[in-house]
Amino acid sequence: MHGKLIVIDHEKCTGCRQCEMVCSVFHTGASNPSRSRIKIVKWEHVGCYLPMTCQSCEKPFCAEVCPTKACHIDEENQRVTIDKDKCIGCKTCIIACPFGAPLYDKTEKVSIKCDYCDGNPQCVVFCTVKAVDYIEADRINLAKKREVSLKLADMLKHAR
Amino acid sequence: MEIEETSQEKALKLIRPQREWRWEIAVYLYLAGMGAGAYVMGSFLIWLGYSLTPSRSLVLFGVPLTLTHAALLWGPILVAIGAPFLILDLGKKHKFFTACLNPRTSWVARGFIILSAFIVLGLVVLAVSVLSPETSGSRSVLWFIFEIISVMFAVATAIYTGVLLKSMRYTPIWNTPFLPTLFLASALSTGSMVVVLSVMSYGLFASSGDSLLPLIHGVIRAEQILILIEGFILAVYLWAVYRKGNQGKSSVHLLLFGDLKWLFWGGIVALGFFFPVILEVLYSRLPGYPMLLVLTGLFLLCGGFFLRSGVIAAGIKEQFPMHRFVEAKMSLAFSQEKR
Repeated sequence: MHGKLIVIDHEKCTGCRQCEMVCSVFHTGASNPSRSRIKIVKWEHVGCYLPMTCQSCEKPFCAEVCPTKACHIDEENQRVTIDKDKCIGCKTCIIACPFGAPLYDKTEKVSIKCDYCDGNPQCVVFCTVKAVDYIEADRINLAKKREVSLKLADMLKHAR
Repeated sequence: MEIEETSQEKALKLIRPQREWRWEIAVYLYLAGMGAGAYVMGSFLIWLGYSLTPSRSLVLFGVPLTLTHAALLWGPILVAIGAPFLILDLGKKHKFFTACLNPRTSWVARGFIILSAFIVLGLVVLAVSVLSPETSGSRSVLWFIFEIISVMFAVATAIYTGVLLKSMRYTPIWNTPFLPTLFLASALSTGSMVVVLSVMSYGLFASSGDSLLPLIHGVIRAEQILILIEGFILAVYLWAVYRKGNQGKSSVHLLLFGDLKWLFWGGIVALGFFFPVILEVLYSRLPGYPMLLVLTGLFLLCGGFFLRSGVIAAGIKEQFPMHRFVEAKMSLAFSQEKR
């Protein structure tokens, strides 16, 4: 998948939840983190935070299971989007997504997900520690990914 | 080690049932499975030549209903009653008819088509059997093929109820081939009980009394075998899910010892398996008490509903790689803390 993507660095995240706040204000006009398209997964007892949002998968499972094709790949921008007018609120995409990205908006009664704020993601603009970034998909640092994978393999080996 | 165990126990206690799909979907899957099962069992009874000629036939709106129709009637009707529950779960209920636009990859869309086709075919078979008994009685090849197609759609409906959940590949308790098998066995078991109950109530209204007993006893024998098969599949299913990894283990834990334990032990095991087996054994010794059979039927039908509810509620998603990475890091932090 080409185009720009939101990239997370969980080591920088302080769990301030400002991204959730600005996201909900931008999309709904109200400061209501439950309606935010980005969510912070928290492990408060160890002070660990992980911002999660749509990963725009190459083969999006949410689009595969959507019965109305509301959840689809936007060919122009090469990202996964939900067409609110087509969505019937069956929540299948929410159950299908391994990242827990789409959310059910109880007010609008449809599934919602990150739409990159029309090219200027507010979570990226307001994240002072730069835990959330918006960069070209092909510029995502593969060396860093490899390093993280090796670290994970090493940790799992030690955990046994 | 102690710290690790405590944190694992804590984590298991924190696991909560899945809340996206709730009782509406359970009712939808339950009625679809039960209706399809009743239709399959009813059709097999007709093909096996079980139809009886009661001393007095039941007349509904001027149309005489024979025994086999009573069994067939419930198939499409139960599925048709269940379908609106799927609509009830939708956010935009008025747009439900667009739920069939992506049958290429979506099982919700495929289900919409399979269920609609079954309802139409089932009602056509029923209408022809009632309004033109000579067509259905003539055993013409064309009519027999039509009946087979309708039964195939009924089987597809019963299997679909499990396949819909199985298609969610990141939920270990759903994504297993044992689930459609379990739901098919449950559909046939609850469906055959619907046949027994409808035949019994038909006998009550048509006062055909003892002439219905051989049929009821035949179905009950099949029913006993089906309950045992279903119980065996449930045990294998839970064992297979438990061995699937952390989230499979969590789902089984949630079902057996967590928030859903009352639903599992009370609703699924006691109502769905234990009481029906005991009551059927009792009935075989005391055939003069048909009330035992009615109770068996009611318990079994409740058990079938609780089975769907339990499986749906226990659907815990697999952790995504990043989540797993952070969790692994956390465990490391715990073991370092211990040292």
